[in-house]
Amino acid sequence: MIKKIKVQDAVGTKLAHDITEIRPGEFKGPAFRKDHTVCDGDICHLQRLGKDHLYVLDIEQDEIHENDAALILGEALSGEGVRCEGSPKEGKVRLLADRDGLLMVDTAALAAFNMVEEVMCATLHRYTLVKAGEMVAATRAIPLVMKRVPIERAAAIAKQNGGALSVKPLRKAKVGLIITGNEVYHGRIQDRFGPILTEKITALGSEVMGVDFAADDSEMIGKAIRSHLSKGCDLLLLSGGMSVDPDDVTRHGIRLGGATEVHYGSAVLPGAMFLVAYIGDFPILGVPACALYHKTTILDLVLPRILAGEHVTRAELAFLGHGGLCRDCEECIYPHCPFGKGS
Amino acid sequence: MKAFEELLASSAKAHGHLCPGQAVGVRMAMLGCRLIGLHEPTEHSQIKKLLVYVEMDRCAADAVAHVTGAKLGRRSLKFTDYGIMAATFVNLETGAAFRVISTEDARDLVAHYAPGVRGKAAQQLEAYQRMPDSVLFRVQKVRVPVEDSDLPGPTRYKAVCSRCGQVVRDSREVVAAGEILCKPCAQGAYFQDAREITWPEMNWTPASARVSHESLRRQEPGTLHAHAEIPSH
Repeated sequence: MIKKIKVQDAVGTKLAHDITEIRPGEFKGPAFRKDHTVCDGDICHLQRLGKDHLYVLDIEQDEIHENDAALILGEALSGEGVRCEGSPKEGKVRLLADRDGLLMVDTAALAAFNMVEEVMCATLHRYTLVKAGEMVAATRAIPLVMKRVPIERAAAIAKQNGGALSVKPLRKAKVGLIITGNEVYHGRIQDRFGPILTEKITALGSEVMGVDFAADDSEMIGKAIRSHLSKGCDLLLLSGGMSVDPDDVTRHGIRLGGATEVHYGSAVLPGAMFLVAYIGDFPILGVPACALYHKTTILDLVLPRILAGEHVTRAELAFLGHGGLCRDCEECIYPHCPFGKGS
Repeated sequence: MKAFEELLASSAKAHGHLCPGQAVGVRMAMLGCRLIGLHEPTEHSQIKKLLVYVEMDRCAADAVAHVTGAKLGRRSLKFTDYGIMAATFVNLETGAAFRVISTEDARDLVAHYAPGVRGKAAQQLEAYQRMPDSVLFRVQKVRVPVEDSDLPGPTRYKAVCSRCGQVVRDSREVVAAGEILCKPCAQGAYFQDAREITWPEMNWTPASARVSHESLRRQEPGTLHAHAEIPSH
């Protein structure tokens, strides 16, 4: 039960919740914390914050205070690699990455959680690369006091599949590169793909074990794939030859290399002619030539997910379509832009 | 209890088609039975311990009846016409009763749980199988007072309508101004303008059916229509 009292009559009572102070451009935070006992000197300060009345709480057994609710919700939402920051502030709990990695959000569970009245959780986009300690989400119960049952139901929804939020570490892959194309293989031009791919791979904490060059010859490409496999690579990137020209034989080469699963084409620009293949669990990515020109492409969306252990198939490549159009800005600010974040 | 997939298949067969309501109804019944501690409701040892109240006459109601084995004629299935996608499961032995309500949220969340599935019904069917119970249902612990006259078993009470002479079973009669009446006489009925009639083949019995059938087969098909016409009185 909540009772309203005049602030002048509040001396000696305990505050029911944190009271926020905002000084524009200077400060935003709790001026008073929950359970602070109001004294004479506080009255003017509270009035300056616009408080002419305060709540006094008498919480029934089947009710819960927003701070206790926020902790229950935060704990329930936190899966592996995510933790609650600690005690709630202003009724809100922040959820932090507990390790470096890729933020995973069960968006169906999150949607179902937020459909429960009186609770909310806002997150970063899923598949965002995060560092340990970085805030990935925040949750709170909306009323000051509410019934326990909706909180417990929301917590149950949040807990499905081990928690709606998790951070998956990226494995340190041993990556093989195969640069295809007669123009490079025969030395007509210098390869520029190798350095670009190497930089992206090492930025994610993996290493390039070896670089091979192959002509536009599917047999040769297949042989190079098997050779990398035998050397102990656990991820393979092939560049070039992904388009529709008669010399574009990389896809056929990947099949000859033993691919058991091939998904060609993604709903992303740049990157429509991207390919994901597997030989058993061994992933192969076919990178189209757009990666030579554009700073950010489909590869930047898919490579972290592959390193986080996700099995990417036709559906994942298709669902990228919403938000999969790069605006091709003069200065690329990815990942701080909408590219690839709609799925 | 059998596996969900097996129950869904048999429920769809009994109902006549596989639809989203079947998935919801099967899961509603599985949850309800689990909550009241009757894990094999269709087995002889548990069949008389269960009462089920369905609050809608939609696909899900058939699924609930199928999974629980509750039947109208056995008085273990009660239809309360609320138009609400909910059912209450009562354990007559322990008194435990839970009302399981299908959430409207679940309908709004279909696309989240089954993205990429084409067609509204197909997407709902898939999503309602993927959602956890916490999303699909809300549950209330309830108390269900059950009168003797509502219990399964032999007829305990009979009365005679003082206006039309109809026998009324199970205390469904109405007493109005000291008169015992059947509900149609007391309150009006779902039907109107009732007039008693006679009809062709009034002396039909199962024993005579075979003879009649042979006799009908020997007649020209065109003559059947004349027999089928109901005379006006």
